[in-house]
Order: sequence, then structure tokens, then C-alpha cells
Amino acid sequence: MTFINYVAHEINCKIVYYGPGLGGKTTNLKYVYAITSPENRGKMISLATETERTLFFDFLPIDLGQIRNYSTRFHLYTVPGQVFYDASRKLILRGVDGVVFVADSQEERLDANLESLSNLEQNLKEHGFDLNTIPYVLQLNKRDLPDVMPIEKLQKLLQVKGEPVFEAVATQGNGVLETLKAITRQVLVALRKSA
Amino acid sequence: MGRAIGPALHTMAPGSKLPTDTIVMNLSELLLHEPEYQRLRGILAKTQRDLRAALVLLIDRGGHEIASEGKGLGTDHTALAALAAANLAATQELARLVGETEFSIIYHQGRCRSIHVSDVAKRFSLVLVFDDSVSLGVVRWKVKRATASLEEIFRGLIDRPKTAMVAAGAAASPAHFTDAEIEKLIKHFAPKVDKEGKV
Repeated sequence: MTFINYVAHEINCKIVYYGPGLGGKTTNLKYVYAITSPENRGKMISLATETERTLFFDFLPIDLGQIRNYSTRFHLYTVPGQVFYDASRKLILRGVDGVVFVADSQEERLDANLESLSNLEQNLKEHGFDLNTIPYVLQLNKRDLPDVMPIEKLQKLLQVKGEPVFEAVATQGNGVLETLKAITRQVLVALRKSA
Repeated sequence: MGRAIGPALHTMAPGSKLPTDTIVMNLSELLLHEPEYQRLRGILAKTQRDLRAALVLLIDRGGHEIASEGKGLGTDHTALAALAAANLAATQELARLVGETEFSIIYHQGRCRSIHVSDVAKRFSLVLVFDDSVSLGVVRWKVKRATASLEEIFRGLIDRPKTAMVAAGAAASPAHFTDAEIEKLIKHFAPKVDKEGKV
């Protein structure tokens, strides 16, 4: 839920990067951290295992700039993608304002994408959100790998409601910023509607 | 209907007060007005003084800071708030798994500093960072008293008619952006690049 602080002149929103394990959610955040000026970002927190798999979440607060004299602070979170961390995923979705689904474009990960998407829908529902109405963007990541599925086919299988779709190679930063800007736009439009 | 605080607030002297109908925060459709905000700050300040705490921080369940007292950890509490909220949420899940309705307190004891996180009105959390000169018993006692006072304030907010609050919140909201303003903000957010144009 968007948190407006009239004293500090801040609008705080929460974005969650969701998707199957090893899909590139953490890589998205690391890239955003790398390209954002230090004065516009806070500390990046990663709660990961020894093998750098996300255990609980990654967290990165960024300041996108001012609108109507208010700072727009976006709190970016990732969830752990591995199936058995479902309880943790549910917790991170609490109070979410927008979701980025980071899909793995490789053919062999299609079932993992579909399972994660279904899990997202279910977990959102448990928090009282509807995937059909919440700000939402689909990112098709790992487009540089050899065995990726064609965009049209992936889009047909994974697109839920005509949401914006972005091709990405998060390790190189391709598509990362475009994805973030798209979800930001949707969250601000949704906030306007509620005002 | 309340009105939102304008930029002039930034130049106000400490301790000075705003008109009583001024909305200070929108806490998930609970509007916090100036008198309640001042009471809330007073409770945090007293707790901080009594315990000589490095920090007393009130956050919502989403991990957003509502108010804080004490500068022992600098002024940016964003990461601390996010981690404390996640920690409490995970602890509550643990409680459910072992058949408890809740574990309402988390206490982490360090060598010099400790952290105490507790529930407030099921929607907020009080985070204390204090040093080893204060005993845990005293901390618990002060937190209990502070929590009761804070819950009294929040009960007042929750009991207000919801429709009136939503309408007041919408009227005071700064979010009446135009498409052009949104696009300007998004366009303005650009990566830092070096002289060769590389990120």
C-alpha cells in the first residue's frame, strides 16, 4: 500500500520482482543499484544463502525524483524463487503496489515460469490483491542464451492481461531500466486513480 | 476535511504546531492528523529519553517509517525498517507453524547494543535500539506502557468512519498527477554514465 508522508514530502511505493528461481530477479536489482547515483539510492540488502541464492529477499530503496514537490521513493524487493520458499514469498507481497514478473526465456524453464505465475496469482489473492488489476509488468529475461523460446510464443503463454512485455538480458542491463520505468508509470497512474 | 501540509513545514521551528485539521500521514487509509502525530512523537521521545535509546522507531507492517526519535544510528532508517518488518512477519509465521497465535516480541541481544521489536495494534511495530546499560526488564516495561498509549491513538484512527477518511485522504493526496508529470519523472530517472557513454 502506498505510504504518503506529508511531513517529509514523500510518496513511498513497494515493487516486488517475482518469478522462478535463477530467473534474474536479484540481477535486475543489482543492475539498478549499479546505475543509480549514490544520492538517489539507499543500502542494498541481500538475504542470501552461501551460494548466493536468495533466501528471504533483496531490498533496494531508490529515489526516482520529485513530482509535485514530493520525493518518489520506490522500495524494490525480490522474492526467493525456489518453490519451497513459498512462505517467505507470501510475506514479501504484503503491502505491494506493483509486481514485475521476471520470466526465464529458456525452453527448459517454461514449466517453472508457469508454476511461479500461478503461485503469484494465488499469493496475491491471499493478500486481497487481484493480478488482473494490480500494476504489473512482464520481463522476458535471458534473451542472450542459445535455447530461448520465441518472444511471441512466450508472450502468448505468460502474458496475463495485455501488460507491457520487455525483452531483457539483466546481466548486461538490457531491458532492466525499461522494465522499472514501466512499473513505475503504472504504480503512479494507479495512485492517481485512488486520489 | 483535513488539508495536507505544504512545503512550509520544512522551515517550521521544532516544537511549533500545525492547525489541528492538518493531515500528517496517510497510513493505508488511516489518516494521522497533527494532534495525534504530536502525541505519537511525544510517546516515542519519552521512551527514547527514559531508556537512553539510540533509536526508537515506529514503522508500519510494510516496513515504512512513521516516526522516530534518537539519532544514534544516523537519520536513514530505511533498511532497518524494512528488515525489522520482515523479521516480525517471519516470526509471526513461525508462531503459526508451532500452533501459537503470535510471537509479539523479538529481542536480539548484542555485545553492546540490542534490538527489541514489538507489535502495536496488529498493524504497526515499535523498534528499539538500546545499549547494555539498560536491563531488558526495564525495556519491556517501558515498551508495554508506550504500546498502550500508541494503541489508544491508533484505536481512535481505526474507529473513525472509513468513508469519511477515504474522502479526506483523496482530497489531501498529492497524487493528482498529469500524464506529462509522470512522464517527466520517469524520463528524468536516467542511469549515471561515464564520459564514454558507458553505464
